[in-house]
Amino acid sequence: MAVDTADAPLDLDSIDLSDPEFWVASPARRHAVFDLLRRERPFAFFAEPVIPMLEPGPGYHAVTRYADLDAISSQPAVFCSGQGAVSITDVPADLNEFYGSLISMDDPRHAKIRRIVSKVFTPRMLEQLMDSVQLVVEDVLDAARRKAEDGDGSIDVVADIAAPIPLRIICDLMGVPESDRALVLAQSNIVLSGGDPELIEDQDDPLTAFLEAGMALAGVMERMAAERAERPTDDLTTALVRSEVDGERLTSAELASFFILLLVAGNETTRNAITHGVLALSEHPEQRARWVADPSLTRTAVEEIVRWASPVTWMRRTATQDGELNGHRFRAGDKFLLFYGAANRDPAVFADPHVFDLGRDPNPHVGFGGHGPHFCLGAHLARRELSVTFRALFDRLPDLEVTGEPDRLRSSFVNGIKRLPARLTGTL
Amino acid sequence: MTRVEVDRDRCVGSGACEALAPAVFEVDDDGVLAVLRPVPGEDDLPDVRDAVAACPTRALALDD
Repeated sequence: MAVDTADAPLDLDSIDLSDPEFWVASPARRHAVFDLLRRERPFAFFAEPVIPMLEPGPGYHAVTRYADLDAISSQPAVFCSGQGAVSITDVPADLNEFYGSLISMDDPRHAKIRRIVSKVFTPRMLEQLMDSVQLVVEDVLDAARRKAEDGDGSIDVVADIAAPIPLRIICDLMGVPESDRALVLAQSNIVLSGGDPELIEDQDDPLTAFLEAGMALAGVMERMAAERAERPTDDLTTALVRSEVDGERLTSAELASFFILLLVAGNETTRNAITHGVLALSEHPEQRARWVADPSLTRTAVEEIVRWASPVTWMRRTATQDGELNGHRFRAGDKFLLFYGAANRDPAVFADPHVFDLGRDPNPHVGFGGHGPHFCLGAHLARRELSVTFRALFDRLPDLEVTGEPDRLRSSFVNGIKRLPARLTGTL
Repeated sequence: MTRVEVDRDRCVGSGACEALAPAVFEVDDDGVLAVLRPVPGEDDLPDVRDAVAACPTRALALDD
């Protein structure tokens, strides 16, 4: 076991959610901190983390209670996204929109663009994809088996299972050619690295690395969009290039930023949900056995994995006016970080919130976001990917055994795992 | 008689309702929610109630 400070006493005034080290502490430690904040200081105020070359802003309130988080999410006119939903510190408007796309937009523009893209993410569209999700998953798991057999039986759950599945599905959806896929994975990793030193080499200038990664991804999309405009296919890129709302089409900048959104939001979130799920099932073998024996548990099991993992740690909202929320007075311009993982362990909503229970029902988790217009566009796709992946894991890699500690991403934004060592015991 | 009401300002066409009650809800090819049976039959009502509760934007209501 790694040495940890989980047993050290907690002191409210020494908690600092802006300290990058907090985010690599063990989940037990982080949840203990959130439990304390939720109970004692539900709108705790923190100074902003320092990012080289950006002016730090006035600070933010950490929202940890479910009721507060959901109230903020469902009042987008009072708590807006357009000033930045994925960055604590304000960034220039064009950058904000480029990297945030829909996530950092407010109505009426958000509603218009969401309509263009939502039609390709409906349950019906996904039904047509069902075979391909199954085929991709089986293919990836078979490759993991071959790798274990060719070597000493060991695999990395992240690199060999959790990363390639959503990457291939998103790339298939968008029609990204095979030759660009390695680049797409590497660059989307950088965009969502949260500044982790393993992914951002120049720690004095992380912004340049983010910008270059974004430009590389935009370049791939621009080329694909031009090709599809000439030669339409049946992929999502073609649908996006051709679709219009109120006579307007997406501009090439909007297309590029939506592509980045899909890549980063569609890859990393599902990847981490799969990895956290594998880890949780390994730590709770009785739950795993229960799910293996009862496929009808899949619906609630997938929701519990999303609650447990809460792959996106926070989104930001900014008050557009003065007001009061559940006893807390706020001013226009105040920033709120919605901590989804904290709300997902709120005992006011979840009985025994720290218990991993695949049969939990109801499970009104906010792992896909609170009620409101920014609810995860890819929720259906993610549920489908998780359902197929875990059932296929039980069928094809029943001997998968986690053999070491997860290597955690040093990011406050994504609850990421970089590596999770495992082996296939049947190959030895 | 129970009628399904849609708040069009809130609906973003997420399709959560369609996943739970496909006989009653469908996000059409323009990304707009179509209510196939505005007055659902008794058999559909349990699914419809689930769909109303699950709407991520609270855009659905039942007018009993």
